[in-house]
Amino acid sequence: MAKVKTGVSPRLSRMLEELQEGVEDGLVPAWIFNDPELFELEKEKIFSRSWVYLAHESEIPKPGDYVLRYVLDNPYILVRGEDGVVRALLDMCRHRGMRVCRAELGNASHFRCPFHGWTYRNDGRLIGVPAEREAFGQDFNKEEWGLVPIPRLEAFDGMIFGNLDPEAPSLEEWLGEIRWYLELVTKRSPQGLEVLGPPQRWVVHTDWKLALETFLSDSYHTLMTHRSLIELGIAPKDAKYAMYGEQIHIPGKGHGSMVVGAPPGAKLPPFWGYPEEMLERARTSYPTREQFETARETRILLVTLFPNFSFHNPIRKPDHKYQGAVPMLTFRVWHPLGPGRIEIFSWALVEKDAPEWFKEKTRLSYLRFFGSSGTFEQDDTEIWSHVAHNAATPQGRHLRFNYRMGLKLEPDPNWPGPGVAYGLNFTDANMRNFHRRYLEMLLS
Amino acid sequence: MERTQALLNCLYHEAELLDEGRYREWLALLAEDVRYRVPVRVTKERGPEGGVSGVMEGMYHLDEDYTSLEMRVARLETGFAWAEDPPSRLRHFVTNVRIGEPRPTPKGEESEVRSNLLIFRSRWDRPDYTFLSAERRDVWRQEEGGWRLACRTVILDSATLPTHNLSFFF
Ligand code: FES
Ligand SMILES: [Fe+2]
Repeated sequence: MAKVKTGVSPRLSRMLEELQEGVEDGLVPAWIFNDPELFELEKEKIFSRSWVYLAHESEIPKPGDYVLRYVLDNPYILVRGEDGVVRALLDMCRHRGMRVCRAELGNASHFRCPFHGWTYRNDGRLIGVPAEREAFGQDFNKEEWGLVPIPRLEAFDGMIFGNLDPEAPSLEEWLGEIRWYLELVTKRSPQGLEVLGPPQRWVVHTDWKLALETFLSDSYHTLMTHRSLIELGIAPKDAKYAMYGEQIHIPGKGHGSMVVGAPPGAKLPPFWGYPEEMLERARTSYPTREQFETARETRILLVTLFPNFSFHNPIRKPDHKYQGAVPMLTFRVWHPLGPGRIEIFSWALVEKDAPEWFKEKTRLSYLRFFGSSGTFEQDDTEIWSHVAHNAATPQGRHLRFNYRMGLKLEPDPNWPGPGVAYGLNFTDANMRNFHRRYLEMLLS
Repeated sequence: MERTQALLNCLYHEAELLDEGRYREWLALLAEDVRYRVPVRVTKERGPEGGVSGVMEGMYHLDEDYTSLEMRVARLETGFAWAEDPPSRLRHFVTNVRIGEPRPTPKGEESEVRSNLLIFRSRWDRPDYTFLSAERRDVWRQEEGGWRLACRTVILDSATLPTHNLSFFF
């Protein structure tokens, strides 16, 4: 791994060395979860060069449909043009920089700037300039003054990602072998996914890496953090339920997944409890037999993409009185706002061809367990904010966190999917892999 | 006048129960078929019809029935609901109450009741706090034993919530 470069302050460079020394040994200093100088470096080295999730194509199905999304502070209009092509246009007028999009979502054939009235078509082309001749003369070429697209925009199975770095590797290369795990959800049905409405958005005083860690590798926290749901009989009775799964990471990429089955002796329906007809369709829509077999045994699936996207697809009882269980799917962006501060974007999704009764059930299951009011997630956000607070304290910031869980585990040779898999989900393997990738990007 | 005073008393009594964390008593104020919803609010352009906009039909922060509200209360009683243990200090400020004409329904006489709501929330020993501001559009029903909340829609004044979770009730 590269040595810490000059160019960062001596303070930060000392700190990065501290992280570099610790990471292989499973020791991570607390300060990385709340430090202003590090946050600036993350903006430059990570978020300006990574594929960041923006939207699902089902959010903008028709020509003119748009949503407003962010990469760092940059606002992008994600809009489907009349030609059906989705673009991400920087919401910044080319004349003096005013925002031209007046809403978070909607349908528009064009965007008109409220400052001096320059008007852009929904494909970004500048089509109207008030008093064009008189003000700018004959040789003004509107073609050179369209809205600026994000440097890179690519999609995978309906998931749209943007990248600020024109030199970035392709999305496909960026994802690498994690695609196999993404596809367990994106290819569950031949028709793919749709969002159940716009995202919930809320602010949490924490670090994006702490939030992400919960979804990337921390099945261990369910024992205690989510104990209330175990007490209520909503989570499986065996408090160690999230341990009985496989934890997989993709070396060099920072991505990871957790694939959890039923606890021994527990009777949980196969295939996350999706309706029988969906299981039938999945049989032929998965690219490989191994994916279908894995999906059939799965009760909880999490996938996290470096740097700040996660999805979570668990099975849950919809309430403490209900007999049976319902699966739900949420997509997450851990959007960094500043040191120790994030905005969560949280969507609920479902297969387009799922039966209507099921769409309603899965929507309610999502609302009750995850998202802004979710009974599971409430406790996560409470805890993340205290950890981030401590990570910035004068004495606490240099304490090292213990990421040694499963340090001696041997990979599972029988796992049918790609990546490095461990047959016990109580391990920090995914997080150690994440930190390796994180350091590599910070230092390059 | 009598009805107006009775409904005002209901709102103030309810606010007291929520501020004091007396959630089982609060549940008793709800009709069995209660519909309790907090739609996601988004930033939208002013519509031609004027007024405010951006109330999303498609997504909610909360979309509850009696059983799911009871589940949320039962969770708070487990002793492991960290989001509210220690409890937030909450204060519900209820103002601008507008009470509609009574109308008979098969389930009893109902009144529309609108109110403005400001929730102050403080946690731990931190000096900071959060505010949530909203309009509540309620339907209260006169049942045997008193008025019950039959329906509540909470119109939030925030698109992005300034608080880290919604572990309390509006
Ligand atoms: S800033 Fe947009 S027209 Fe001048
Ligand atoms: Fe959690």
